Amino acid sequence: MAATIDLMDKLKTLAEGAKYDVSCASSGSHRRNRDGIGNAASCGICHSWTADGRCVSLLKILMTNCCVYDCAYCVNRRSNDIPRTGLTPAEVAELTIGFYRRNYIEGLFLSSGVVGSPDRTMELLIAAVRTLRHAYRFNGYIHLKVVPGADPLLVQQAGLVADRVSVNLELPTRKSLALLAPDKSREAVVEPMRQISSLIVANRAERKESRKVSHFAPAGQSTQLIVGASGESDRQIVTLSEQLYGKMDLKRVYYSAYIPVNDDRRLPARPLSPLRREHRLYQADWLLRYYGFSAHELLDEQCPNLESDLDPKTGWALRHQELFPVEVNRAEYGVLLRVPGVGVRSAQRIVAARRQGSLRLDDLPLLGVVMKRARYFLTARGRYAGDCSPGSTMLRSRLIAAPAKRDHGQLSLPFARELAVEAIATVISGEF
Amino acid sequence: MGGDYCYDGSDVGLLTLLADIIPRRVEPRSIGVEQPQQKDLFTAPVTVTTDPELAERFRVELFRRLTPLSLEQLRRAWYADHPGRELMICRFLLLVWREGGRAGTMLANPHVAPFWKLAQQVGREAHRYLGFVRFRETTSGYYYASLAPDHRVLSLIAGHFADRFRDQHWVIHDLRHGEGIVYDCTRRRWLLLPMLAEGDPELTPAEETFQRLWRKYFAVLAIGERENLSLQQGKVPLKVRPWLMEFSE
Ligand code: SF4
Repeated sequence: MAATIDLMDKLKTLAEGAKYDVSCASSGSHRRNRDGIGNAASCGICHSWTADGRCVSLLKILMTNCCVYDCAYCVNRRSNDIPRTGLTPAEVAELTIGFYRRNYIEGLFLSSGVVGSPDRTMELLIAAVRTLRHAYRFNGYIHLKVVPGADPLLVQQAGLVADRVSVNLELPTRKSLALLAPDKSREAVVEPMRQISSLIVANRAERKESRKVSHFAPAGQSTQLIVGASGESDRQIVTLSEQLYGKMDLKRVYYSAYIPVNDDRRLPARPLSPLRREHRLYQADWLLRYYGFSAHELLDEQCPNLESDLDPKTGWALRHQELFPVEVNRAEYGVLLRVPGVGVRSAQRIVAARRQGSLRLDDLPLLGVVMKRARYFLTARGRYAGDCSPGSTMLRSRLIAAPAKRDHGQLSLPFARELAVEAIATVISGEF
Repeated sequence: MGGDYCYDGSDVGLLTLLADIIPRRVEPRSIGVEQPQQKDLFTAPVTVTTDPELAERFRVELFRRLTPLSLEQLRRAWYADHPGRELMICRFLLLVWREGGRAGTMLANPHVAPFWKLAQQVGREAHRYLGFVRFRETTSGYYYASLAPDHRVLSLIAGHFADRFRDQHWVIHDLRHGEGIVYDCTRRRWLLLPMLAEGDPELTPAEETFQRLWRKYFAVLAIGERENLSLQQGKVPLKVRPWLMEFSE
């Protein structure tokens, strides 16, 4: 740490360049600590929160902000005249360890501009991670970006040293990719995703045979979509996510509201409430992953976009009033999950608690049910607590008229979601 | 039924007290820590004398009767810094003795709900401190972290840190409750000890550098467009900020 001033500047620039990448999750890995330092906790841990309320969990940094590509939405694109700098693999490792030992972070999220070629870049990234794993015997969490177009051999090496790997899909369709990220072909992005997905599946099978086989990306694969820089509908996006979860077995799809950093004719000027849209997309994403919904239930040709003033579950329930109200003492778990105001945890609690005796309306808030919304969609011992009848046309306005307090001004962004299971449950039951 | 009970304030003491009253199905009116001066003949509470053997037998009994989830909740409630914790624990255990393992899931029961809520509070705080502990490298060769949690969370978080930081000596010091965990990486063991505050230990030069780098990094992270200080304050309450270098200065 001789040249500190220099390192401070580099850190500033390279963190600046990486911060728009939203994935902060460090969960889902169970790397054990044998002799060295660090482990990957199975529930992610937030170490701090930024002024915009996002969880700080990983040291998220670029190896370099030099880039030979020219993506329209990116600060680091070739055509921008900005100061360029980079870290050596040794510096990345030293920084990571120094932060980790002090419990500032859960691990490292390492990405990079493209230096020279995708392969050259991947080699640098892998060298940094190898130093950490071998020289420092670091067992903490590492998320490594895979550069589109990198050699399959390097992709494989990346998965062997990292906990999670991700290739950013960036734009939902081939067309917008060609328009906004002309150097990246859809194939260059999707091929490594496919490869990773099948390597993960193969690795899982091999590890069943023998525990000696080393892990390949034990925390799986994720990707990021930029929302609002191109014209796709929510329906296109949510359907794409559903496919990614289903066919590629992705752990997470992250949505990043497009924030204008460049003047570019190809980009929309100033998207309308991009954060709200991002928020609704995350809610829809949760419904796909934890609530048993499918994309076509949430969105169809008649309504291709999520409603901005209603969460997607309430919106769905309003379109299916014939299914409600449900009786909490009888409804199956899957049905309870679909009741607005009932989250995963509260549905579980209902199922556990009603075994001990039938539940009354008064019991429900104790179990975490948000009655403000739920009361219009359920009964307990046949009693209904809504102030207008279940099928009433007033229902919609009631639900919109009483939005959650934070929905007024600022949105709580769901970046910090993968916390403890408990924290997730609170968030979920608070949201839906 | 009823009555006021007293113990010496230690974990073993409370276990002894519970061992004494739970099997007899006594529901006390109050449980307090004994005050040597108050010796009024008529209002004097029943003082239970700490008996390590009885306590240990009762601990085993608890493991037998409670489900893993209830045990975890008990552990959390146990370390709560709350004047009613003894009574809540006691009422919950009475229910366990009456209803068996299913007591843990009777969430709507008036004796389970407060116990459960308290346990959750402590659990949540403990979880938060997995992130909020900040080690500083001292010249004496160990890493030192101080904090002042609402509840006595150290025992709940020690295992996590012992697993994660196996190759460094470290100390986590709870200034509010005057206790600390000391981890010895040569023997790979941690101990919870009473610990007084004696000023800050001397720090290494590298420590200064890393703190500055960390502050710099943290300052960069916020995306200006989205500033939401009230959300931040909900997540990082003012009371924990003195221990977080990214919020100092
Ligand atoms: S490849 Fe595109 S998105 Fe990535 S750093 Fe270069 S210009 Fe930016």
